[in-house]
Amino acid sequence: MAKFQIEIDGQDREVQAEIIDKRIWFKLNDQVYSHDLVDLNESHSKNSKSAGKSADRIVAPMPGKVTKIFVNQGQSVQKGDALLVMEAMKMEYTLKADTLAQVEKLSAQVGDQVTLGQLLIQLKIAKSEAP
Amino acid sequence: MKQIKRVAIANRGEVAVRIIRACEELGIETVLLHSDPDVNSRAYRLATKKMRIGPAPTAQSYLNIQANIDAALAAGADAVHPGFGFLSENADFAERCEKNGLVFIGPSANAIRTLGDKVSFKRMAQKAGLPLIPGYEGVDQSLGTLIEEVEKIGLPVIVKAAAGGGGRGMKLIRQISEAKDLIESAQREALSAFGSSQVFLEKYLERAKHIEFQIFGDCTGHVVHLFDRECSVQRRHQKIIEEATSPSLSEALRRQMGEVACTIATLGKYKNAGTVEFLLQDGQYYLLEVNTRLQVEHPVTEEVMGVDLVKMQILTAQNQFIFNSKEIRVARGHSIECRVYAENPYQGGMPSTGLLGQVTWPEGPRRRYEYGFEEGDVITSYYDPMIAKVIVWDETRPRAIEKMIRTLKDSTVFGVNTNIPYLIQILDHEEFRSGRMTTRFIETYFAEGLKNKTSDDQIKKWAQSVNKELRRLKTSNSATGAPGAETSHPSPWGSFWRGV
Repeated sequence: MAKFQIEIDGQDREVQAEIIDKRIWFKLNDQVYSHDLVDLNESHSKNSKSAGKSADRIVAPMPGKVTKIFVNQGQSVQKGDALLVMEAMKMEYTLKADTLAQVEKLSAQVGDQVTLGQLLIQLKIAKSEAP
Repeated sequence: MKQIKRVAIANRGEVAVRIIRACEELGIETVLLHSDPDVNSRAYRLATKKMRIGPAPTAQSYLNIQANIDAALAAGADAVHPGFGFLSENADFAERCEKNGLVFIGPSANAIRTLGDKVSFKRMAQKAGLPLIPGYEGVDQSLGTLIEEVEKIGLPVIVKAAAGGGGRGMKLIRQISEAKDLIESAQREALSAFGSSQVFLEKYLERAKHIEFQIFGDCTGHVVHLFDRECSVQRRHQKIIEEATSPSLSEALRRQMGEVACTIATLGKYKNAGTVEFLLQDGQYYLLEVNTRLQVEHPVTEEVMGVDLVKMQILTAQNQFIFNSKEIRVARGHSIECRVYAENPYQGGMPSTGLLGQVTWPEGPRRRYEYGFEEGDVITSYYDPMIAKVIVWDETRPRAIEKMIRTLKDSTVFGVNTNIPYLIQILDHEEFRSGRMTTRFIETYFAEGLKNKTSDDQIKKWAQSVNKELRRLKTSNSATGAPGAETSHPSPWGSFWRGV
């Protein structure tokens, strides 16, 4: 951890900062912030960097365990349908479909320990709903 | 009863540290019964001895009765402290400890069975004419019956794990169409967290406050209460902020509820620390449940009462603690506890895991920190997200709120996201400050977590400036060969003094 003063938004401010696992953590104005180091040096920000954010890829929003899968391969799902349940830190989280779609592939099984961002279900978005 | 010489701790995290401290002050050795990942924890570093009980999953470690008992015996312990959660309210565990010659630091197995089992507790309260919430706690656990009972009680209805606590295996049914899914989900969570899928149903009170009384039965069986706490600030039925005493009780109400709490505990022949929970709505109070263990929020009671509940527990277990009948007990000032969770408040409380960097809890008058992890430890997804508790005391409630906000702003955790910004906004909310908040407070005002997040672009810009300075410091240090003037990593003094 390092502590220093730098000019931010035209004012000298005290900052504490540390790099942990390719991420920069810093405290400024009593608040802690963090940012990926990898895309820090790119000139313009790419908001959709995470491949997981598209509606057809259901990825793990956190590390944890898959405890229930509600759908089968080939099944069609409505927007809002529960797809699977994950458990982390003793709480259950239900992942739902964002759009009308068909289940193309199940990439996880009940009992699997999965990592953050891991693909769990690949959906095929129905034609009429596709952008 | 013989003097306890070595206590095995069947728990982890901050409560394990809390128990170690109490034991140390009483001259008792400790044995930490731990899972594989918890070698990276403060309790592991502080305990006199450590014994591995199994791998990370709780079913194979912290919930495995045989493994805990075997390890306690192998380490030469003569008593077991179960902390809270895990096996703390498991009557079989208490019984097996006693059978193996280990003093169970808590109530008797019988008291856990009669009061801790919510079904038998309700029968006992009913018989004694104590006020209960309408509900269903039958043995018929078929889906059909449960849904029928939901309709009979009238929506909204809450489903709870019969063996539960801490919000796990609890679901709220608002529409009958959701009943099936929610009941099944509650049963699964109950099975995974407590080893039993049994649930019961209860009418959900919409504007209730959560009030609880700390009770304590001394070694003669004399039960007194150590006043009340309010824990209305809950999310998904998990407490976030607790305080003592409640800002909502008149003296008359406090006296009545305190008497009910002592009555039910006395009926259950209760010894040691426990908590009687109530819901309070429109001046009416209803008995909710008895938690037959030390509570996460016990420090706020300790702060206003000037007691050490864990030491009282240990002394009671060795038959040495008796209440002085002439002593007048009064609660003084106001105490607040905030639970620091490893989660992202800007993503609806999504769990956050990872390697901890700097963790600082700056001291100050009547600020108290209970924490189980330090720099270099890893927060995993296997266990509860609570990484620390911050407790303050001050003369009045408004002052305690101000002190808590300042304390949280001074605290720093790098490496995982925490709910600290969320806690600060809750404390600063007008309804919390007024003391009028109900158990629906979070749902009403903070359902989606925090929204007014600093934009990603802004954070990125700051991060770039900060990173540039970090690199400049690094190169200038390596160029001159001097150790980093203000970087703590190379200095042994930084870590030596941390947490003092």
